[in-house]
Amino acid sequence: MDYPEQFDVIVIGGGHAGTEACLAAARMGAKTLLLTHNIETLGQMSCNPAIGGIGKSHLVKEIDALGGAMALATDRGGIQFRVLNARKGPAVRATRAQADRVLYKAAIREMLENQQNLSIFQQAVDDLIVEGERVCGAITNTGIRFRAKTVVLTTGTFLGGKIHIGLDNHSGGRAGDPPAIALASRLRELPLRVDRLKTGTPPRIDAKSVNFEGLQEQWGDQPEPVMSYIGSLDMHPQQTCCWITHTNERTHEIIQGGLDRSPMYTGVIEGVGPRYCPSIEDKVHRFADKNSHQVFIEPEGLNTHELYPNGISTSLPFDVQMNLVRSIKGFEQAHITRPGYAIEYDYFDPRDLKTSLETKVIENLFFAGQINGTTGYEEAGAQGLLAGLNAALKAADKEAWCPKRDEAYIGVLVDDLITMGTLEPYRMFTSRAEYRLLLREDNADARLTEKGRELGLVDDVRWAAFCDKRETVERERQRMASTWIQPNTPEAAQLNEKIPTPISREHNLLDLLKRPELNYFDVAGLKGEASTNLQVAEQIEIGVKYAGYIDRQTEEIERLRRFEHTALPLDFDYQTVEGLSNEIKQKLGNARPETLAQASRIPGVTPAAVSLLLIYLKKRGLLDRSSKTA
Amino acid sequence: MTYQTDTIAAIATPAGRGGVGVIRISGPKSLDIACAILNNKSLKPRYAHFSNFYSSSNNEIEALDSGLALFFPGPNSFTGEDVLELQGHGGPVVLQLLLREICRLGARPAKPGEFSERAFLNDKIDLAQAEAIADLIDSASEQAAKNAVRSLEGEFSRQVNALVEALIHLRMYVEAAIDFPEEEVDFLSDETVQRGLENLDRDLNNLLANAKQGALLREGMTVAIAGKPNAGKSSLLNALAGRESAIVTDIAGTTRDVLRETILIDGMPLHVIDTAGLRDSSDLVEQEGIRRAWQVIDDADRILLVIDSTDPSSADDLLKQFEPHRDKLTAIYNKADLSGLAIGESSDHHALNLSAKAQQGIDKLREHLKDCMGYHGGSDSQFTARQRHIDALLEAKTHFEQGREQLVVYRAGELLAEELRLSQNALSTITGEFTPDDLLGKIFSSFCIGK
Repeated sequence: MDYPEQFDVIVIGGGHAGTEACLAAARMGAKTLLLTHNIETLGQMSCNPAIGGIGKSHLVKEIDALGGAMALATDRGGIQFRVLNARKGPAVRATRAQADRVLYKAAIREMLENQQNLSIFQQAVDDLIVEGERVCGAITNTGIRFRAKTVVLTTGTFLGGKIHIGLDNHSGGRAGDPPAIALASRLRELPLRVDRLKTGTPPRIDAKSVNFEGLQEQWGDQPEPVMSYIGSLDMHPQQTCCWITHTNERTHEIIQGGLDRSPMYTGVIEGVGPRYCPSIEDKVHRFADKNSHQVFIEPEGLNTHELYPNGISTSLPFDVQMNLVRSIKGFEQAHITRPGYAIEYDYFDPRDLKTSLETKVIENLFFAGQINGTTGYEEAGAQGLLAGLNAALKAADKEAWCPKRDEAYIGVLVDDLITMGTLEPYRMFTSRAEYRLLLREDNADARLTEKGRELGLVDDVRWAAFCDKRETVERERQRMASTWIQPNTPEAAQLNEKIPTPISREHNLLDLLKRPELNYFDVAGLKGEASTNLQVAEQIEIGVKYAGYIDRQTEEIERLRRFEHTALPLDFDYQTVEGLSNEIKQKLGNARPETLAQASRIPGVTPAAVSLLLIYLKKRGLLDRSSKTA
Repeated sequence: MTYQTDTIAAIATPAGRGGVGVIRISGPKSLDIACAILNNKSLKPRYAHFSNFYSSSNNEIEALDSGLALFFPGPNSFTGEDVLELQGHGGPVVLQLLLREICRLGARPAKPGEFSERAFLNDKIDLAQAEAIADLIDSASEQAAKNAVRSLEGEFSRQVNALVEALIHLRMYVEAAIDFPEEEVDFLSDETVQRGLENLDRDLNNLLANAKQGALLREGMTVAIAGKPNAGKSSLLNALAGRESAIVTDIAGTTRDVLRETILIDGMPLHVIDTAGLRDSSDLVEQEGIRRAWQVIDDADRILLVIDSTDPSSADDLLKQFEPHRDKLTAIYNKADLSGLAIGESSDHHALNLSAKAQQGIDKLREHLKDCMGYHGGSDSQFTARQRHIDALLEAKTHFEQGREQLVVYRAGELLAEELRLSQNALSTITGEFTPDDLLGKIFSSFCIGK
């Protein structure tokens, strides 16, 4: 049947990408439908029960700065909070939280159910309605036809999903869930490049069968960090600890002995797995000289005994899994509640996407999450938010938006994907961002919230909090710039105790903060009143300490800005550009960059090639004046 | 508003010819640069002003040259941007120093064809000429690439590659410590990084000391004349020097020590060293002369191996002995007037027929030596290629030193990481791109990472 109502945006899939996508679209006022095969698993954490970490928390805070759900759900579901790299400098600091799966899921579910403009419908999707080169809706497995202006696909590992445990395998989207086979084969008919990836999980363990004596405990930080810019400590549930144990030589022998029945090592699995998240058999095989690997034991929640032993993801046969688990200290009597497994699934070459995450060949069709070859809740959520907001913009006939590489990790993520594609599940690392010093966890709001407000993503509560913080920081900065300390005064004496040589001329408070020995609280209160707001103190201190680097990066951004605004037509025929080598023509043809800047970032595209493109564009009158002055 | 936002500079006159050397600068910083170079002398647009050209590095103001300065404000200039032209007296040394000062003030060396590219993008050149510009960029960058490859031959290449490897290795530790703090790989707080920094510092300094092409210009290239006794080595020195400085007789073994002569070719100093004839000798004095000759040959930037072309087979064993020095060897087939070889002709780039005594083919030899100094062929010779490499190394060194300070003084590992990234960016102009993903690949293959 044809569903009687028409939607602006349909989101297919209710994982981390799907939920952010439909929430973003609905927040912007688009009439949105979320189609999921199971309402009970909305916001499910399929892998480990943790959110954030290096590079990833940066994404979470950016999602938050744009009004997304992930950070708030983390504050409401988080049972342990830590700041990683606390001593390595603010740009690389990252918040990580253990989450109670049930609480996290409930928080997401609540936000979805209370979101205006959003309807939820439970039924698997088997097909898309495609008319000409444009998508117009989706068809469920019982034949209900939903029509919409735009469709966002966030199918995770479900497309053609195949689960491996030892040499046995079966079709599945996730342990306990059916795969999307019909949709996968339908999508393979579209003119998009498709390939297979692989990922895996460890066996889960019953805490009642674990001997915790002698295992190292790991507690969260005090004071407890908060994930959302509008989150607070009173949102946090009860806090708990994780444990650390290690594999040993016996474990490694067991694994070696089972490799002949490993789907990875016998060639049964064709998909490529992530280099940074190897299975335990991979670690033992590739790093044979290491006789122990760390296992990080994460609680699955406050009201469950299930544990997630992070570090022993495996697709070895179940009998080997049992033996290897029981060879580990603390796990001698362990009962496995769910076996570990590897899963292979379809993903689409992200080079077929625009920066808006709309496909280049099927208009109005957007992809987000693992379908684009990424891994991780945070990467998925970030893309979901971007795809959702762009679907809403497209439905309203408005211009697409995507942050640039110098504005957000979301920008780095999307640019990396659509420029270079990926051969393994793509995960964010801070080393991927050349503007790492600008893209910090502490300033995602300053970078994005204003834009979010303009797009309609940011509600009044968040906006007010943001404006208040921004003003307070600016006021304090001005106060410090105009507050002077003269030599041979009581204030100077107080100051001189903390620095190697006494000051000999007058300095303002901001200048003093440049000294490596001094922090905000050492100088701000020398004269006048220091702010007690830690976020304010942080912003001022970082601004001063990074000043030289921030200036340099800003200058570089400015220099490259023109190329960002120089559009390349998607149907550009690179074969006709004289002087380009065949290799470069081919690389450009494969990536079909949207801008000259993106072209310049394709590995192997030389500055001379960029010059030749520029001249070609100019010659053909394709270099419009707006791009010159933009 | 113009398309580009940065300022470029280049020497616009062919190297080493004529009495005037022109440096052209285009971009928004042109006027600021003019101010600094002319020590605040104000320029009336499109008028020629006579002035000293100053360098103000190290807080000292020093006049490098004097000449005419012309300022053309955009859009009414050759490129459509603000353009500054400095016309100096222009020995190559002075021009290079001046260019370096201009780059220190915020310009960057222009890429091949870049002035024309800008002119075209800013509607200063019509469409008909566009093809020529595309060709120019294409061929000039190809030539630049070739020159870069030639500059990277031999020991220099080995050292640069070793340096880059060491830098990547260090970055691997630093980035792993930042991106994987929970993986028991915190090298920032142990000695691994500290040690890496020290090693890198040493290698970089060694490399810069060895990469003496920059010094070559200022101090001159050393050319050793070698060969069998009586092949005509001293005659060649005299022919180049233009006067009798070595004792020339028909008696083999006349030159028992090394003789030095400094000559100028188009203003470039060239230290020519005549060496004792190479042969087995029982004469103790002569043996010492031969030992010194080999010393000179090993140290020389260029070797002219003089062969008596009336008896070419006499040098077969000698050519073999010089095989390790092939990169810097030119075989001179002397006495061509007697043997009937065509004067000036040569079978390849590394050989030349001439007659030292009859002064035939000496001009060709001068040209050849200029070539060897990378001194020929306009703005993008092998010399400029090497100069770019050295500039890249110097920039890498600056970032590297700042990074070390960030770690040691401020304990700021993330700023060390940033400086090392910039350091490698600088070196990537020599060795090619190195992407963040390449670095991650190194990390994952070296450390067992992943929970």
